Amino acid sequence: MPRITVDGEIIEVPDGRTILQALDDVGLLMNGVDIPHYCWHPKLSIDGSCRLCQVEVEGIPKLQIACNTSVQEGMAIRTDTERVRKAREGVMELLLVNHPLDCPICDQAGECKLQDYAYEYGVEASRTREPRRALKKNVDLGSTIKFDQERCILCRRCVRFCSEIPGTGELRVFNRGDASVIDVHPDFPLENDYSMNVADICPVGALTTQDFRFKIRVWFLEDAPGICTGCSNGCNVHIGVANNKVYRYVPRRNDDVNDTWICDSGRMSYKQIGGGARLKEAGVRGEAGRLENTGYEAAVREAAKRLRSMIEEHGADSVVVLASAHATNEDLFTLRRLSDGLGAGADGVAVVQGKSDALLIKADKAANAAGARALGFGPAGPVLDRIRDGRAKAAIVLGHDLLDESHLGGTEALEGLDLLIVLDVQQSALHKVADVVIPVRHAAEKYGTLTNHAGRVQRVEPAVEPAWEAWSDGEVLTLMGQALGLEGFEDGYDPAKISEWMSERVSAFAGVHLRVVGDQGRPLPGERA
Amino acid sequence: MLKVPYVTGYLSEHFGDDGFGTLSGYEARGGYRGLRQALDTSPEDLIELLKSSGLQGRGGAGFSAGMKWSFMPTDSDRPKYLVCNADESEPGSFKDRILLERAPHQIVEGILIAAWATGAEKTFIYIRGEYAFPADQVDRAVAEARERGYLGAKVMGKDFAHEIVVTRGAGAYICGEETGLLESLEGKKGLPRKKPPFPAQYGAFGMPTTVNNVETFSHVPHIVCKGADWFRGFGTEKSPGTTLFGVSGQVQRPGLFELPLGTPLDEIIFEHAAGLLEDRPVKGVIPGGMSMPILPANQLDVPMANEFLRERKTMLGTGGIMVMDDTTCMVRVACVISYFFRDESCGQCTQCREGTGWMNSIVERIERGAGEQSDLDILLDVAGKMEGQTICAFSDAAAWPIQGLLRHFREDFEAHIRGKKCPFPGSFEL
Ligand SMILES: Cc1cc2nc3c(=O)[nH]c(=O)nc-3n(C[C@H](O)[C@H](O)[C@H](O)COP(=O)(O)O)c2cc1C
Ligand code: SF4
Ligand code: SF4
Ligand code: SF4
Ligand code: FES
Repeated sequence: MPRITVDGEIIEVPDGRTILQALDDVGLLMNGVDIPHYCWHPKLSIDGSCRLCQVEVEGIPKLQIACNTSVQEGMAIRTDTERVRKAREGVMELLLVNHPLDCPICDQAGECKLQDYAYEYGVEASRTREPRRALKKNVDLGSTIKFDQERCILCRRCVRFCSEIPGTGELRVFNRGDASVIDVHPDFPLENDYSMNVADICPVGALTTQDFRFKIRVWFLEDAPGICTGCSNGCNVHIGVANNKVYRYVPRRNDDVNDTWICDSGRMSYKQIGGGARLKEAGVRGEAGRLENTGYEAAVREAAKRLRSMIEEHGADSVVVLASAHATNEDLFTLRRLSDGLGAGADGVAVVQGKSDALLIKADKAANAAGARALGFGPAGPVLDRIRDGRAKAAIVLGHDLLDESHLGGTEALEGLDLLIVLDVQQSALHKVADVVIPVRHAAEKYGTLTNHAGRVQRVEPAVEPAWEAWSDGEVLTLMGQALGLEGFEDGYDPAKISEWMSERVSAFAGVHLRVVGDQGRPLPGERA
Repeated sequence: MLKVPYVTGYLSEHFGDDGFGTLSGYEARGGYRGLRQALDTSPEDLIELLKSSGLQGRGGAGFSAGMKWSFMPTDSDRPKYLVCNADESEPGSFKDRILLERAPHQIVEGILIAAWATGAEKTFIYIRGEYAFPADQVDRAVAEARERGYLGAKVMGKDFAHEIVVTRGAGAYICGEETGLLESLEGKKGLPRKKPPFPAQYGAFGMPTTVNNVETFSHVPHIVCKGADWFRGFGTEKSPGTTLFGVSGQVQRPGLFELPLGTPLDEIIFEHAAGLLEDRPVKGVIPGGMSMPILPANQLDVPMANEFLRERKTMLGTGGIMVMDDTTCMVRVACVISYFFRDESCGQCTQCREGTGWMNSIVERIERGAGEQSDLDILLDVAGKMEGQTICAFSDAAAWPIQGLLRHFREDFEAHIRGKKCPFPGSFEL
């Protein structure tokens, strides 16, 4: 590892990297060592065009761009000299020559790198007396992204993104010189599964998502760390929250999982959190055949009571348990213990399959399919068979993925059950046939861990509180376990303790639990993820 | 009858002979002897010869040709390429065009010698798109050389293979910058590449590549035939050899003159180009193509070699000399120059993209009579910000002429600002 000196401080950095890459690798870039940059992005090819990242390198007369200068043993860099300051100021002034400076009506204000750097390194306004370029404003590049050509500083991150990450190449620089503009070819709009990432990497307000623009000023948002639940990749996200409401997901960098990207459908899945499709009321089917709201805890107790009488009548063998791949490891460890404690006839997990690609999107459309499998929940088939052939009299079902075409395709087969207990985040057709329904929390509303497709265990924590009563699945199941008098449920449900216990009891999770996974997750033993 | 340069030297002495452009005509006048001789010399010795001749690249930057050849890797089994830069688009330059038209075999011979010296297996001749006639001459010469066995699997029967591919430019000044050229050659937009990597490591199609100018290659056969000392007999100690000065502007005899480097500028203008039309006084002279800073009338004694021109804050560039008489409005000159650079900037680098446009807007405003005194400081400040900080030298090339005009002709600018109009007669289309 070469040692370089930055402003007099000796830093050990990885070999074969450029100055910006190396500082980024060791976590110091813009976090101890400030080298402002526009065109460079850690996950895109080096462009070297904005010229903002110039630094002094001892022994080289001209300033060098830090994004494209390789580190070498003994290299001495200065970022704090008058020459560097003037170079930055020069670039900033020239970038502002044609910038509309419409910050008050720009949706990027507050997270705009032009605003930030102009304030920190530059001139407040350019001395230009010339009219600014008049270009396209507010145009649709595709169905997801709005474009303001006047605000663009031509860093070409978006162009490189499209050609290098999804590989679709919709965006291009047209013309040359100061007539250069970013645009799409006629009839080839910006449409790919990752299109909205361009809004995240655009340093200014030139690219914004249709979904988020003008919803709220970003300075009202608080970022909570979260995990996307759209598929088993488990992309890391920042959950943007204001007044207990989720406004957006943006990617949270995790080089082992999603780099700095998320897919568009995952990004939009934030809408499920507060959405109208949420299950908000607990219900117990009464004499009249209707679901009645008897109160949350009462419903849980009623579920346990009916379950006990089913077991007394038909034996524990008549109970089947279906896990949800959306629940946390801790929820599912609790379910595992409940299923084992009861001696249920069969258990398994229903996972919906969908499209996948070589980048992020995985076929398992749930965040914790791998966790469920690691906790011993096999395929749903044997469980569904028992339901279909009548061996099962009672079922505990988490979520509603069993309704998918690939499993039951509807509720008909469930009508033969004497008792159907459903714990779910969302409303579904299950509620028409369930005997007890209990609303539970979304992954963005609770503590726990999720295991992604590659066996990486990642933490979730509450970003928002549901506005209705809802516990996490684990808490509901714990109360049921207690009510059924099963062992191991006496201490209640504390996700951190349960997690630790799971890591002791389940060899697949040895040593990996909520308290130790950190904000970047940790692979299960034996997994390289 | 072909028109010939008014003054000739070893490069151009046969330019008037019909048939010099053909293989037989070229060989009849001693052509391809240099190649024969080179193929009996080791590549290392050839590179040493080139180094000791002191031949500087004639494409504008004046870098030692021998040095450049020595940067080509010798320990790599990847194919190596040469590129002959025939994109000549610097306003005021037309020497390469004449070399391509009149002496294509001289270029081919120089290329083959360089190929032997550097171990290159292929050369791309990238010819400016508008140069249709010159390109046809080169095409023909290459075909003749191939037929004669000077190209192909066994050059002159030796165990040395070489091919030449002639490509036509797609019409942008920036495609003359060597890495912009490489991109264009590969079929992409002519955007100069960031360096490192340099072409000697990662050039055309990713292979080690050396780029030289048409004229640079043309000198090579002569150096091989007659030796480094002979070559050093022309020109100055630091700038040996002759070059083709192209003189344009308000002179009696515009044209091409082959003269030793170091020939005084006033000799070129008043003797060879026969002075100005109507014997008017000189106002200013651009010494080396439009990107080189202008010299005022009292500095025409300068010897035309970089070591002397640098002292006057300008450079030899491509040797394209543009002479302007006392009726010239230097603000209009600034308008023309800055418009060219605004239009031709590739637009990658912030300073160049925004600076060229800003400078052009300011000088045009001054020409319209709407300038302010502070504009001059802004012009110099912007030019300063554009210098030495970009991917390629275009940005410098755009800044220098404006700096030169303000250095020597500030009064013209101030007169526009004071009088709120252009004080020069005639109309000027902005
Ligand atoms: C903007 C720009 C335009 C250029 N145009 C040409 C050109 O048309 N022909 C040329 O030979 N060199 C041109 N050059 C110089 C080339 O980059 C390169 O230095 C040259 O071809 C090397 O050849 P030489 O070493 O034989 O001079 C240009 C450079 C710049 C910065
Ligand atoms: S739109 Fe944004 S990301 Fe794309 S080039 Fe312009 S400033 Fe950069
Ligand atoms: S790839 Fe999967 S986890 Fe990642 S953002 Fe998309 S849906 Fe979410
Ligand atoms: S200096 Fe100008 S021409 Fe050269 S790469 Fe940068 S923007 Fe393009
Ligand atoms: S970040 Fe280095 S040039 Fe843009």
